[in-house]
Amino acid sequence: MPNNNGSVYGLTILSPIIDDAKATPSHDLQIRNYLAKLSTREDSPFALAPGTHLARLVVMDDVVFVGAPSCEEHLKSKYLIFESNLDGDLDSYLSGLAATIPDHLNAIWKHCVGYPGAANRQAFIDYMKACQLETTFFFAAVNNKSVSETLRALQTQTAVADFIASHQGANPAKLQRDFIQFVAKLKSLPLPKPGSMGPHREIKTGGRNE
Amino acid sequence: MSKLNETDIQGFVLRGYNLPFARYLFLQFEAAKRARSLIARLLGEITTGQRWDKGKPQSTVNIAFTFRGLEHLGLPDATLRSFPVEFQQGMKQRAEILGDTGVNSPEHWDDLWREDRVHAWLGINGVTMEALDARCLAILAIIEETGGAGALASQDAAAQVVDGKPTTKEHFGFTDGFGNPDYLGVDRSSQPGQGKLMPDGTWAPLATGELLLGYADEAGELPAAPIPHLLASNGTFMVYRKLHQNLATFRAFLDKQGSLYVGGKEKLAAKFIGRWRDGTPIEISPDNPNPAIAKDPSRNTDFTYGGDAEGARCPIGAHVRRVHPRDAFGFSGQLINRRRITRRGLPYGRFVPEGEPVTDKEERGVIFMALNANLSRQFEFVQQQWVQYGNDSHLGNDKDVLVGNHGGHGKFVVQGDASPGNPPFICSNLPDFVELRGGDYFFLPSITALGMIAMSLVDPR
Amino acid sequence: MSNINGKVYAMNAITPMKPWKTWILRLIFFVLGHVKPLQKDLIDLSFIEFARWVVVPRSGLPFLDNGQVKEELKYDYLLFFSNFNGTWNQYIDAFSAVLSRGLNLVWRWSEKFPGSVPVTLFKEYIARVQFDTDYYYTAYPHATANDVKSAHIVQASLDKLSQLAEKSDPQQFADAYLRFVLQVQTHLGETSDAPVAG
Repeated sequence: MPNNNGSVYGLTILSPIIDDAKATPSHDLQIRNYLAKLSTREDSPFALAPGTHLARLVVMDDVVFVGAPSCEEHLKSKYLIFESNLDGDLDSYLSGLAATIPDHLNAIWKHCVGYPGAANRQAFIDYMKACQLETTFFFAAVNNKSVSETLRALQTQTAVADFIASHQGANPAKLQRDFIQFVAKLKSLPLPKPGSMGPHREIKTGGRNE
Repeated sequence: MSKLNETDIQGFVLRGYNLPFARYLFLQFEAAKRARSLIARLLGEITTGQRWDKGKPQSTVNIAFTFRGLEHLGLPDATLRSFPVEFQQGMKQRAEILGDTGVNSPEHWDDLWREDRVHAWLGINGVTMEALDARCLAILAIIEETGGAGALASQDAAAQVVDGKPTTKEHFGFTDGFGNPDYLGVDRSSQPGQGKLMPDGTWAPLATGELLLGYADEAGELPAAPIPHLLASNGTFMVYRKLHQNLATFRAFLDKQGSLYVGGKEKLAAKFIGRWRDGTPIEISPDNPNPAIAKDPSRNTDFTYGGDAEGARCPIGAHVRRVHPRDAFGFSGQLINRRRITRRGLPYGRFVPEGEPVTDKEERGVIFMALNANLSRQFEFVQQQWVQYGNDSHLGNDKDVLVGNHGGHGKFVVQGDASPGNPPFICSNLPDFVELRGGDYFFLPSITALGMIAMSLVDPR
Repeated sequence: MSNINGKVYAMNAITPMKPWKTWILRLIFFVLGHVKPLQKDLIDLSFIEFARWVVVPRSGLPFLDNGQVKEELKYDYLLFFSNFNGTWNQYIDAFSAVLSRGLNLVWRWSEKFPGSVPVTLFKEYIARVQFDTDYYYTAYPHATANDVKSAHIVQASLDKLSQLAEKSDPQQFADAYLRFVLQVQTHLGETSDAPVAG
């Protein structure tokens, strides 16, 4: 099934946006304004709801006119694109969204045609599936690890580099003792928050001069 | 491809002169008319790319301009706006992109570079100090006579002379001067490892357009260039960076880490760069330097990393592997052919042998000059993606151990193997061994273009 | 800029296709999806986290009635969504340099596609058909595809080593530890913020 790649699912949803000349600002602009102020880090709705590796929301105004001799044509509606790369199966993902972040979902999708609200779980899922397009070809660099497994692995990677660097030339007995302690400590650490930049590491790569 | 007209290209672009003494004069132009008359007078002094088949000249002179300089020479607005954005901005404004932050940020630069006053660079080389001084006097006299510019400052640089012969050593003790690419039509002979890797494992010269504007580049098109064609053709862009070297810090760090590393100090130093201090590539001679290889141009750049995916011979993050990955990224090296630069620098400051006292404060370092047809695609890319960052080599945010701006943080991993003399080893808490003290981007025009500028004959379309 | 979050860039592109060409593209994607070795170059380029193509037939845009006007389109459309590491220029340069045939195979059916070589014309076309992202989320903004792959290798190696840590004597452990370090030594890069694109 082309929507799947290993354990990752490629969800593509195009929701027609309400076209109402009397709305000021128009519905597509209202969506844009809401999204512009929404956090993309740890407090993102997609960090709070489970299962999202990467996701985007795009207001698609129109198709593109590539120039003569191609014909010029236009969409009659604007569409809200929701492209998500998620863990597991679609129904549990959508249920998770409706359960954890209903207010955000409503604030965004209330501007779309036929949106039933997140309160009625099944109606919400049916609506999203009605707007779903089949992904024709889906590529994933890593297709067999969940979001949590990935966050834990990244945490481990940094900790291991530090451990190796600080235990060079250690005698075998001390190395073993320290290692066992290290593994226990690592296991007890809370999972890093999805959407965060990871712990502060004092590495400055580009960025503004203070 | 078309044959190069060497008399139209500044010699500095086509060849490393191997004249061991250099002085770089930085000029600020007076009124446009007088500045142009200065250029007209200097035209006769500029060294071209004509070959020295009848013997080396005593001295050479070359000239390049910042964007500000071109503005002050009165080039038409439409021409000025057609220069690539990064050149218009100048290197100072590109600081964030280049990772010139912390100690390297422009507020710490020399006065000369902090203020936006440099309009032109005059590169003068001499076979002896006397020849250099004499030529400089002559040039300064011309500048004085035309009243076309004020000389803001000068920077001396010179090769280290050992036993009466100039070497290519730099202050940390490494032998430099390898790795300049061969370009089609530019070089008489091709040195294996200097060009681009072909699918059959041989090396071919790079497309001329990677160095010179107006010629096809490695992407099969003409590189972006200012208009009109005549202004751009046979010209190139130059990066000038004054890189101060913290020699005391480096020696102390190497001594300390070298004592902790089983392979010893010299091997660790070789792991930093990817060459032993005499220039032998560790990829082909991982256990010891080999003068026979180091001194042989047909061998000292002839290697690839395909057989060393683990970095056990040459660390993944070693300097030469970072800036010239060869086949390390797969695809027969095709991903790196448009990321090459030609270097023309010289060290500056007093050389101090190992064991003698030295401080970081003393003025010493390398004047780094790189030539490329496209600043953002070539120099800036290497600096941003391969020196101050490591994702393409799967090294995450790790930076080049020697040149990266570490600020006391970061690490360098020496990958190893199971053999006792080559264990894996990590150097942490890296100091800044090199600090940027200033520089800018320059346009090195052809002789024709210089004439057009001098006579105010530049017309955009 | 909302096209970028940490180390990853969200590119959206839409290109028109004459409907009779669409079935050829579907066939190409079918083969690509089922003949894994054809994906090797894409995998080796290793700076794409996730990417997808969506063929939208001209009658395929969701229609929910409720006042929505039905679309009347002449062209089918190819939607492309990429999540990649590095700058826009770097990304396109790399693809044009080593994957030009693959790119051509996918996009030659789109109207006015100039070919993926030479790269400047190709970049102009992409700039014309690309549209911007309004909101971009990634669970791991400080990590690239390479960082993630390396992290999983480190985790797997650590798990194996911890299993025998308690059961071995110090010398056995030291040997196993060296093997562990050799396994992870090329996978220890720091993860932090991205270079500034300018």
